[in-house]
Formats: sequence, structure tokens, C-alpha cells
Amino acid sequence: MDPTLVVQGLLSGVLFGGVYSLMAVGLTLIFGVMRVVNFAHGDMMVWGMYLAFMLASRAGVDPYVGFGVCAAALFLLGFAVQRALVDRILDAPHEMQILLMLGVALVLENLALVAFGPEPTRVRSALSSATIWLGPIFVDVARLVAFGVACVLTLALYLFLFRTDLGRTVRAAADNTYGARVIGTDVRRVYAVAFGVGAACVGAAGALVAPIIPFQPPTGLSLSVTSFNIVIIGGMGSLLGAFVGGLLVSVAESLGAVFLKPSLKELFSFSLLILILLARPAGLFGRRTS
Amino acid sequence: MANTRLNRRAFLRSTAAGAAVLGFPLPLRAQGKTFKIGAIHPQTGPLAEPGQACRLGALMAVDAVNAAGGIKSKGGLKLELLLGDTQTKPENGRVEAERVVNQGAQMLLGSFDSGSTNAMVSVAQQKRVPFLVDIAAADPITANVAKSVREGQQKVQYVYRNFPTGSGFGRNAVQYFTEIFKEAGVSPKRVVLMHANDLFGTNQMRGFKAAWEAAKPSWEIVEIIPWPEPPSDLSTEVSRAKALKPDIIAPITRPASAQLLLPEIRKQRVEIMGIVGPGSPGLYEAGQLAVLKEDLEYVLTSVPWPDFKNPKTKALATEYQRRSGGKTFDTNSGYSYDAIFVIADILERAASLDDPDAIVEAMRKTNYTGGLMQYGGPILFNEAGDNPNAIATMIQILGQKPIAVWPKAAALQKLVFPRPRA
Repeated sequence: MDPTLVVQGLLSGVLFGGVYSLMAVGLTLIFGVMRVVNFAHGDMMVWGMYLAFMLASRAGVDPYVGFGVCAAALFLLGFAVQRALVDRILDAPHEMQILLMLGVALVLENLALVAFGPEPTRVRSALSSATIWLGPIFVDVARLVAFGVACVLTLALYLFLFRTDLGRTVRAAADNTYGARVIGTDVRRVYAVAFGVGAACVGAAGALVAPIIPFQPPTGLSLSVTSFNIVIIGGMGSLLGAFVGGLLVSVAESLGAVFLKPSLKELFSFSLLILILLARPAGLFGRRTS
Repeated sequence: MANTRLNRRAFLRSTAAGAAVLGFPLPLRAQGKTFKIGAIHPQTGPLAEPGQACRLGALMAVDAVNAAGGIKSKGGLKLELLLGDTQTKPENGRVEAERVVNQGAQMLLGSFDSGSTNAMVSVAQQKRVPFLVDIAAADPITANVAKSVREGQQKVQYVYRNFPTGSGFGRNAVQYFTEIFKEAGVSPKRVVLMHANDLFGTNQMRGFKAAWEAAKPSWEIVEIIPWPEPPSDLSTEVSRAKALKPDIIAPITRPASAQLLLPEIRKQRVEIMGIVGPGSPGLYEAGQLAVLKEDLEYVLTSVPWPDFKNPKTKALATEYQRRSGGKTFDTNSGYSYDAIFVIADILERAASLDDPDAIVEAMRKTNYTGGLMQYGGPILFNEAGDNPNAIATMIQILGQKPIAVWPKAAALQKLVFPRPRA
């Protein structure tokens, strides 16, 4: 086994993991605060990708510059979905939540199909072809930048939750809804903000990854599945867990491609899920800390 | 991209309008009875682009047949398509086939993807509906039926295919590889075969490998690297290929994986004489060229291709470009087009259109020379139900257009190999 290949696999895995982490962080936030599983997560990310595509092709804005716009747009979408739809089923049995979010996912996927067509597409960025060579190892600059931005955004989210008043309110509502209401918190608004922020994370993740992978409307489903995998491994509701989980899953897939046949690499990441569920059912960092 | 988006909308509208017209219930059609053919191709999902091309090719052919007077020996009977969408999911092949048969389809056509085509076979055999496979390469599709008829488990074979099989592709590809290396005056030794691991990709890989083992050429397949389809990341696969120091990378792709693979090969600076595909989608379609641009330049692939030296084909290509909003007439639209004409020929010769076995009798005796694709002889069916004269042509992307370059008889331009250094 060529050591260069292993190091390369590790590096690619870690860099791509940054984006996986950002994706998962959004999902875990929504669950942590509202106990709602956002099945439309992957499809929201695909919309982030398509928005980045439109920005790049219509306005000439590079996705690595324009991801803020995608995040803002997805924030509004998340806020609206929460206010208009999720709010009504917060106290309903879990099956209702699942049905509703699956419905949202279907609507988003088919809207994308109607608007953009079914063919796979990707975004051209100035960084798409840039590589840095460290001896025999190459670093894909696009992935490096995506990793960097993802880390910064996750840090920003952490600071928001733990250092700002609104963030503290979000965490209070998550910990004890009744208590939060008693002290006068507008819980509905807090929930909408939380959903919006979660969607913004995934919108930014979509913009960052749009130049790296080809996407089409059905891509949303596999992204949702990967997000769940990461969040369950890291622990539902834990920000750190989602971050570490994202890196772990990405590295597991990468090393799986190096050591086994590349077509079996998902075997690695899903086996990891099974192992974690057997050893630590709550996930690696599984206590609600958001 | 704005132009293409409007054109794509117009194309979707015209196909939807076409489908609506064709799908209208009988009372509204003054012409009376028609012969219904279930045309099932992916319209959504990862294989939507080639699938939509197939549907448009079939629709254009039906228009042409009907305009020329329909099935003359049956009183000018017109053809009608009952359209189905597999959504690129293999199980939907069966679901859609059952639906159109329940709506009155007497023959089936489809379905581009080997997985869904295989699923349609059981409906064809169980419900005794003659099925002409226009595109799908996996050998088992026809071979399994032929075997069960031979062994007495089934009485009649209803499934026939006018398209090269995986093993046929393999033989063509190995032969072309050796011939173009000789023509270019180079002798590459190490070939790395990379493929999508769905039913089509795995079958193509097996066909190529078997043909290579049988032919024992001077070049060697040093490793076979599969990836899960559709992939989100191929950097490790390409790193593995690069570590093997290949002279040639031979990819078997789908549109999504091609969009990842080719830029990755460029990014990792894999030094090769060329990218030569044994035959797969993703390396020549208009949508792929629009996304991949220079990454596709000089890529060679061995695919069944229209015979552009035939003036009828050229005229049809112009018409197709107009009706599809700028897309190129190619393998997918072409084979679906030819399939409808083959069906029309079969229906002319069939003793009775109400007896599926009579249609099958006529099918087995097919000897059709009016095909617009590149064939090695007339369209006929062998004991397995396949057309041995359905062959591939080596095409190369030159000046961002796919051009036939080998064999010499089909070549429109000279082949460029090895590819120029970037």
C-alpha cells in the first residue's frame, strides 16, 4: 500500500470533511432546538448549489465570494418554512413531522427540476483548477478554501450560540421551552431563527461545494442521508459532534476508497455508523449542548 | 446559460405538448384506431439527458412513419406512442411497462438504462408483449430469455435488441484500441480501466476485459477501478490510477461521474497518451460538452454512432437540432429513431397485429437496411435476440464537437493521438 496514497486520502478526506461538517451542523442545530428532523436538509443544500450556480452564471460572482448570499437566501427559506409549516406540527406526533418534512423535500426537489432541468451541472469557479503541490501530494485549492470557510462559519455559529443574547435565548428555548416562555421569550420567533440559521449553514455548504461536485435535483436525497449519518455518529444536538462527525465520515469514506475497492467506500462510513450505535448509542458527543 | 435554459424550457414544453397530444383519449382522435407502442425512457433523474433524447428520436420517427402513410399493409394504420418515465430508477421499468400495457400498448420500446430494461423483460415475457430494446447493453437482458426458451421454461422469446451488447462493445473496443494505436504509430502498454459500478458499467467492464483476454493484444489492463454511481468524489480513485503510471485511462462513465472524473484527471496532472473509452455515455453529449468544455477535448470513445455520410441522417440531424433546441443528433436519439422504423417494418410483414406471436415471427425474420446509424450490415436478430451488425464507431471530441474518426470507412476527420501536451 503506497503511503503517498494513504496520506493523500487522509488529506482529501479531512478537507472535504469541512463541508460535510457545515452541512451536519445545520441539521443538528434544528434538531437540538426544536426536536424536528429536517428531512428536507439535502434538498435545501441543492437549492444552495443552484443559487450559487445562478450567481456564477448570471452575475459572474464566484461561489467562494457569493456563499453569503446563498446563506442569506436559505435563511429566509428556513425562517418561512418554520413559521408557515413546522410551527403547526411542533406538538404533533413524530410521524407528522416526518411526513411534513418529506413533503417539503419533494416540493423543493421538483421545483428545482422544473426550474433547472434534470441534467447534472456544476459551477465553474476561478479556483476550480487550482492545485498546490507539496512533493507528491497535491492539495485541491477549492477544497482547502471550502474547508477554511466551513471552519470559520462553524466557529461563527458557536460564537452566535454561546456569546450573543439571541444565541443564549435559542439555547434556553432548546433546554426548557416552558421555562423560556415563563421568562417572556418569544419562543416561536426563536424557533424560526434557529431553523433559518440551520438552513443558512446548509445553503453556505451548498455554495462551497457547488464547484467541487456535479449536482442535479435528485442529489438532495443522498446528501440528506449523509447528513443524518454524520449527525447520528456525532450525537443529535451536539455542535462539536456534528463537526467531528463530518470529518470522521469524510475520512472514513476516503480511506475506504484507498484500502478497499473505491466503490465500497460508503461501506466504511455506514459501518462506522453501526459501530457507534452499538458502542455509544447517543453518538460520540451525544448530549444536547447547543 | 440563459439561452440554453429558455431552449430547454421550450423543449420540455414541446415534449409535454407532444405527450399530451399523443396521450389524449381515443374519442378525441378522429383518425380512429392506432397501433400503440409503449416508449419508456428516463425523463428525470441522473440519466434524463440521454433519456429525453431517446424519447424525441422516437417521437420524430413516429411522425415520419405516420406522415408517409403509416403501416401500408394494414390499411395505413398509424403508430401511437404511450410514453413512460423510469425516473432513472431500475424498478420503474417494470412499473411503467405494466402501466402502458394496461393502457393498450401492444409493443414495448426502451429503456436506455440496462437496469430498468432488465426489469421490463419480465413484463414483456409474462404479458406476451413484443419488446424491442432500442438502447441497453447488458448481455443478460436478451441472453437470459434466450436461455430459458432453450431450456423449455418459456415458450417464446419476446425480447429483441437493436444495439450492441456489452460483449459486442468489448470486442469492438479492443479491436479499435489496437487499430488506432497502430495507426498513430505508438505502442502504449499500460491501460487503467475505470468504471461506474451500476449494471451497465459493470457489464461493459466485463465485456471489455473478456474481449481483451481473448485477443491478447500488446497492451495490458493493469488495474480495474470501480466507483459508486453517482459519485460525490473521485479524487482517491484518480490518485490510485495515477500511482499505476498508466499510458491510457479507459473510463466507463455516466454523465455525472464524467463531470467529476475528467477535471480530476487534469487537476492531478495525470500524464497519459490519451483518454480512450470502451463505450459509455457522458463523454460526448451536448450537455456534457457545455459543462466540461476543454476537459473533453481529444477524448476518444467507442460508441454506436449515426452514419453522417448518409444524406438522410444529415437532414434528420438538422431537424433534430431544431426540435430539441440546439442538441446534437447522436447515439441515443438515433437508435430510438431507427427502432421505430424497424418496428414499422415488422408490423408491415406481420401476419396479424392482434397476435403477439405473429409479430414475433415477423421480428425474427427482420432484414432491414434502412437504418440511419452506422451498422456492419442489415438489421437482423441472432439466436440470442441481438443484432450482431450493431457496431460501435470510435468518435473523438475535436473542436468541442464529437466526430467519427475510426474505422476509416466511417471517419469524417483524422484521428488525433496521442493527445497534445497541455
